[in-house]
Amino acid sequence: MLTLSGILYHNMKNLFISAALVVAALSVTSCKKDDNPTPTSTTGTVEINMAHRWGNSTTNFLLNMELVHPMTNDTMTFTTFKYYVSNIKFKKADGTWYIHPESYFLVDLSTSGSEILAVPNVPVGEYTDMEYTMGVDSLRNVSGAQSGALAVANNMFWSWNSGYIMVKAEGTSPNSGSGSFAFHLGGFMGTNNVVTTNSVNFTGNSLTVTGGKTTEVHMIVNPAKLWHSAATLATSSSIMMPGATAKTMATDFYSGITFDHLHE
Amino acid sequence: MRPILFIVAISVFLFSCKKGEIENYKEWGFEKPSHFPEPHYKFENNTQTYDRFDLGRELFYDPILSLDSTISCAKCHAQTHGFADHNVNFSLGVNNTVGKRNSPALSNLAWYPNFMWDGGINHIETFSFAPITNPLEMHETMSNVVAKLNASAHYKEKFKKAYGSETVTDQNLLKALAQFMSMMISADSKYDNYVLGKTTFTSAEENGLQLFRTHCASCHTEPLTSSFGFANNGIDSDFSADLGRGLVTQDPNDNGKFRIPSLRNVALTYPYMHDGRFFTLSQVLDHYSNGIVQSSTLDPSLGTGFNFSSQEKQDIITFLNTLTDQNYLANPFLAEKKK
Repeated sequence: MLTLSGILYHNMKNLFISAALVVAALSVTSCKKDDNPTPTSTTGTVEINMAHRWGNSTTNFLLNMELVHPMTNDTMTFTTFKYYVSNIKFKKADGTWYIHPESYFLVDLSTSGSEILAVPNVPVGEYTDMEYTMGVDSLRNVSGAQSGALAVANNMFWSWNSGYIMVKAEGTSPNSGSGSFAFHLGGFMGTNNVVTTNSVNFTGNSLTVTGGKTTEVHMIVNPAKLWHSAATLATSSSIMMPGATAKTMATDFYSGITFDHLHE
Repeated sequence: MRPILFIVAISVFLFSCKKGEIENYKEWGFEKPSHFPEPHYKFENNTQTYDRFDLGRELFYDPILSLDSTISCAKCHAQTHGFADHNVNFSLGVNNTVGKRNSPALSNLAWYPNFMWDGGINHIETFSFAPITNPLEMHETMSNVVAKLNASAHYKEKFKKAYGSETVTDQNLLKALAQFMSMMISADSKYDNYVLGKTTFTSAEENGLQLFRTHCASCHTEPLTSSFGFANNGIDSDFSADLGRGLVTQDPNDNGKFRIPSLRNVALTYPYMHDGRFFTLSQVLDHYSNGIVQSSTLDPSLGTGFNFSSQEKQDIITFLNTLTDQNYLANPFLAEKKK
């Protein structure tokens, strides 16, 4: 004989089965691809951690902190520091590459966590090298409205002269004639192209990706490098379009990004 | 699996992917006019659907895109004027700020390789970002527009129908506007029907067309009446007020060059030139006849002007009037939808 709770249990069970069937059917007929499937035992996550340091010191680079540039001696307080990293790839010990799809990251010092670039679904294995692009590849500069890190609402796209602002550095300085500085560096064509591919060799070590686990790559980013060969703020405190100076500043900044260590 | 079940499963799958009023597709869907070249924009990553077009149309006519909800796209791009502004050289933005260039007529935008008088914008989908955020125009931020649309149950529903998610994004906003703008096709003027052999020209129109083909069509390439290139057409020799194409390319050889505009519906898109300095076609013809100002970047095809007779000017204007496309100016699909 069925008790009341037994009947309820039975009905609940049927309800759950029906619900499960509906969910299953929906997921089968749904047109959307699941962009981030849960990591399985065959893949792991690599997190690239961009640590920001000012000059050669161990001082952390932070917004709204008064800093003195080691070469130009300009006193600078940054209010904005944002840049794009894209197209991350890892090279296996056997020479084959894992290429992360839709690999676009906007590092924004005002958004905590954005300095960690999470690359999920990396196949389990040993990796000897990493490659990444500083800036946004030319194709995405000419392909219309984008989403996520590349959305125009991030204020990293020039409205009047299409293209991504690949590095944005703004702030105040008593050394600038206007009391402020604003460098919007970009350009994806011809001699003004700032997009740069960097590679890292893990120097005898290897990046071990383990199923369902996260491995970390630690990088050091030095914003002071923007003025490695650029003029003082008294001479130039603003760039708003692609050009030779933008290219020099971006290239110096990009080449100053260094690999620090691996961390499992 | 039994075949019948398989078919049912497949059709369920297909129907779940289709959105919109597909039964109306033929009436409004993008169709290349037979005498036009292939369009530049082919709805890559933005497959055309009625709901997307309809959303783009509503956004085009909605001042919600501007800072204080006073200015829509249509305010400076009026269908009755070939989607140019009404009679002013410079349009007014939020708080009556005055623009710097004449609000251009809009038509056949799917054929443009780039946009604006200086060609600075490289894609129809990123085009609307400029007027929405320009302080002299709508003076709004994309994130604010997105927030306002996300606060509207009506728009959330429309975005869901169009793009499958009720969360409004700037990407889908721009893509929807591109769907509407791509449908601004003007290809049914008397000129078009003449080219297609469906009608004949009067002798004045015919004479005007021949003069046009001799003197104008190397830049105002048929049938779109623009090569979409840039030229200095001899209206100035001092470009300090506006470098034009040179602003974008940073090449001094491009200073003083501006987009060669399409002449479709030109009788209604006055005033003319990038700064709207000429209010009549007669003034424009006088310029090309005897008003060419010499400078280092002047387009060589203009020389010292064409020295048209008054009859020739009149015939060219008569021809230009054949570019007026009443079915475009009155196309209900491009008009503001009655709510």
